[in-house]
Amino acid sequence: MISRRRFMTHSCGLGVAAATASTTALTLGLTRSVSASTTDGYKALVCILLAGGNDSYNMLLPHDQDQYDEYTKIRSDLALDYDSLLPLSNQSESGRSYALHPGIDEIRQIYESGNLAFVANVGTLLEPVDAVGIQEGKARVPLGLFSHSDQIAQWQSAVSYNRTSTYGWGGRMADLLDPDPANGLSMNISLSGTNLFQTGYRVSPYTIYYQGDGANTVWSFPQFWSNGINAHTVIRDLLGVDHDNMLRREYSSRLKGAMDNYDTFVDAIRSAPEFETEFSENYFSGMLKQIARVIGARNTVGQSRQTFFVQYGGWDHHDGVVNYQAAMLPIVSKGLDEFRSAMEELGEFGNVTTFTISDFARTLTSNGKGSDHGWGGHHMVMGGAVKGGEIYGTYPELSEDSPLDVGRGVYIPTTAVEQYFAELALWFGVGRGNLDEVLPAIYNFYSPSGGEAPMGFLV
Amino acid sequence: MRVLHLVRHLCVSAALFTGVAVNGIGDDDIGGDPGSDFGVTVTVNELNEASRFASQSTFGLPYEDIEEIAKTGRDRWLDQQFDIPPTFHKPIAEDLITRQDEGEWQEFVDNPFKLRNVIHRFAWWQQTMTAEDVVRQRVAYALSQFFVVSDRVEVLRINPYSLTSFYDVLLEHAFGNFRDLLKDVALSPAMGLYLSHANNSKANPERNIFPDENFAREVMQLFSIGLYELNIDGSFKIGPEGNPIPTYDNDDIREMAKVFTGLTYAGEGHYWGRNWFWHDDTEVFSLPMIMYENYHEQGEKKLLNGWVVPAGQTGMQDVELAIDNLFYHPNVGPFFCKQLIQRLVTSNPSPAYVERVARAFNGETGSPRGDMKAVLKAILFDTEAELLGNTSSFGRLKEPAVRIVSLSRIFNYTSDSGEYYNTGYRLEYLTGQHPLSSPSVFNFYQPNYSPVGEIAEGGMVAPEFQITTATTVIGVTNQIGLAIFYENQAFHTWHPHFETPRIDLTDYEELAANPGDLVDRLNIVLTQGKLGRATRDIVMDVLDKVEDHKDRTMLAIYLVLISSDYSVED
Repeated sequence: MISRRRFMTHSCGLGVAAATASTTALTLGLTRSVSASTTDGYKALVCILLAGGNDSYNMLLPHDQDQYDEYTKIRSDLALDYDSLLPLSNQSESGRSYALHPGIDEIRQIYESGNLAFVANVGTLLEPVDAVGIQEGKARVPLGLFSHSDQIAQWQSAVSYNRTSTYGWGGRMADLLDPDPANGLSMNISLSGTNLFQTGYRVSPYTIYYQGDGANTVWSFPQFWSNGINAHTVIRDLLGVDHDNMLRREYSSRLKGAMDNYDTFVDAIRSAPEFETEFSENYFSGMLKQIARVIGARNTVGQSRQTFFVQYGGWDHHDGVVNYQAAMLPIVSKGLDEFRSAMEELGEFGNVTTFTISDFARTLTSNGKGSDHGWGGHHMVMGGAVKGGEIYGTYPELSEDSPLDVGRGVYIPTTAVEQYFAELALWFGVGRGNLDEVLPAIYNFYSPSGGEAPMGFLV
Repeated sequence: MRVLHLVRHLCVSAALFTGVAVNGIGDDDIGGDPGSDFGVTVTVNELNEASRFASQSTFGLPYEDIEEIAKTGRDRWLDQQFDIPPTFHKPIAEDLITRQDEGEWQEFVDNPFKLRNVIHRFAWWQQTMTAEDVVRQRVAYALSQFFVVSDRVEVLRINPYSLTSFYDVLLEHAFGNFRDLLKDVALSPAMGLYLSHANNSKANPERNIFPDENFAREVMQLFSIGLYELNIDGSFKIGPEGNPIPTYDNDDIREMAKVFTGLTYAGEGHYWGRNWFWHDDTEVFSLPMIMYENYHEQGEKKLLNGWVVPAGQTGMQDVELAIDNLFYHPNVGPFFCKQLIQRLVTSNPSPAYVERVARAFNGETGSPRGDMKAVLKAILFDTEAELLGNTSSFGRLKEPAVRIVSLSRIFNYTSDSGEYYNTGYRLEYLTGQHPLSSPSVFNFYQPNYSPVGEIAEGGMVAPEFQITTATTVIGVTNQIGLAIFYENQAFHTWHPHFETPRIDLTDYEELAANPGDLVDRLNIVLTQGKLGRATRDIVMDVLDKVEDHKDRTMLAIYLVLISSDYSVED
């Protein structure tokens, strides 16, 4: 756990962090060769984006009576009933006790079994700040706070100092670890299309469907073969035509790339072993099931490191937050449990770490129907390598005059996304000396040279 | 309704028939004078210009209509289009609901394939395929990607009047004024539900309840001024510290949120807190929201740029003033116009092009501020729109939905019953896109999306590539194949009682006797005379191996449609 004091120590609080990062690395005496990145064995990271801003203060709640009373007072008509909550054992270092939303008992069980941890109050930051500093205009905060498009981008890019990132930290990991896969298949696989997280300077995500074998190719219609024409040869010729226009070149390249990847990918996934775990018949579980199949085919697919991206949207509950969460959180809970089960069957649970991200948590105060855009939120990490059954980071003490409250019950994060992601990246195989290539502002919050884990939730 | 469609259909057939007579393109590669049979001089060059104009201003038109534009002249033709009354979508929903209420399609009342769930899509396809106001329909579709609501929200999907009425607002003001558009969108019950400012109540601080900030934020970020202060040419203004200047902060959002309190659904028997679940009631989703003063936040509100809403006004006066505050913000012209250019013409308009259109928006060309006709003329008649392809980043990738509607119109999808209903499920599954079905208020793609590689490195954008993945780029190619080779597969309806329209390539098959003629015609209707030589050679090689004229026709059309020459219009 990172104490607030330590958090402050490691923050430079300077201008553009990327510019300062490499110089900081030099002053710390780091050389990139000392702690090189590794791709030994097999490891996968599964990123689940709960898009729209999950109201996670109703997912992980205070359970001590005094804090629950504060919670009820602040949340007003959005507060969940005390008796409905699922208490967690093995409480945090603070001695406080916490409980879960009533609809996520599978998550509670995985937590209790030691394979799932919570990371409390994570969000985008440039430096540690409090509400007073923000009011007085002294504190530096990320651009585009509380805005979906900006926050969803900054969570994926791990770059909170601009609003125009082109690359994500999963993409930068791929640039570092596997920029040129021999069979052309990207190590970053998306179940949810184009995304910033998996987009690197060199590597783009490979998108698959959650249905069927995940990929398709251009069909050969009868008018081709009945006339003795090989459709794919003709189409590849078409896509090989030179164009002056860069958008045309890009289009040809994407269609040709999709045809090439199909041939490799579908051969591989059809070789995947069956597993007994049954997944629920819904979109979220369907995506996780497809990921399980790809992981099952890992030896044929051929990448020793993979990231997977899943977007489960619809969490922007300005209206009906209590009812919608009651319907949606159980889907997450069951899906995670099914995925855990499939990974255990494949014997890969220890090599696959699943984590959530979201735009932000939401205002603790109500708008009379739901909640509005907030800032720091609570997240989950699951896997055999997770030191679970614990809550990492700092869960804020709730109070109407909390020094973290910037208004309407919007809490300033006490852990930066960089700290959260650094733990995942180091586990994944990114070398300590390469960490700033993946997380450009990491030195504002954590010093990789110390040897200490960024947060400690992974072995 | 049905009679009307039949009449339209007959007109289309008549046009087809005469179309056959003008197929005689000359023997040289780019064709001779195809209009000469009629005694009207229309050069191939003029046809290509007309085709390009049709591609930018409509969903695509068949050859006869392109010829018509060439003969009429683009200016006059556009003025004629401006004068055609809107073809609204809600009447289709009313017709279908009435007929179901009167006993048709009873098996699709309650089962999982409820007719009700797709009626707004049926309306969209019916009118998009058949309406005479082809420019208005295309512009409304572009506007639906700026003012975004989506049938991915269940309430909007199951109420057939919500999205059709919303779309009718876009149609009504497509040639009107941006201020009316913005105001009617803000008061639209579909938007009220989508961005939750319907039933948004004033604060109750004792209970820790405050106005909903959702619409207040997005109306600024997405529907009017954007995140940063802009110069007239769309570039960012730069502040003293060298950074872009945000247009608003969170305090501004909270002030704006106060303005949009007190609104709820209208209709007979209305009351505060009325909910959406009167889904059978046409009125609830057809009438603008109304103001309940008791639930409107009283007192002064600070708007942008020093504007103040004084205390003591009515709620609707507050709304009007806030709409004015946004409408008169100097950002609106460049912010809105650049995106409309991106939808219709090019992903990367030059700053000078944006500036010329923004000045038209601002009323500097003789029309009132916000005049949509002036904006559209400025976009479509700009020298940059007319001289395409003069930079390597010009043009735009055609989005999947537009490609499918376009081929259906260009290649004469016809229906004896006059029905052009489509669930869109096949299109959506294969391509990830369906009109009025964006995954979020941020549309299918963002205007500044820049694909990794030379486009990003060149500082350029190409929004439509955000939904062009390994799955969807294959999917759209296959959807095009189905639409051409299987003749009726551009449309999908699980409903046995609805006819699926079929492609009619008769006039193209006539041309297929001489493959060169066929490809020349496709070069006019699809690629505006700019089919690359190498692409043409590949297509011609294929056609040389095929005897059957129908096969030849289909193969030629398919190959041009999936080529990058057609997929990206430059």
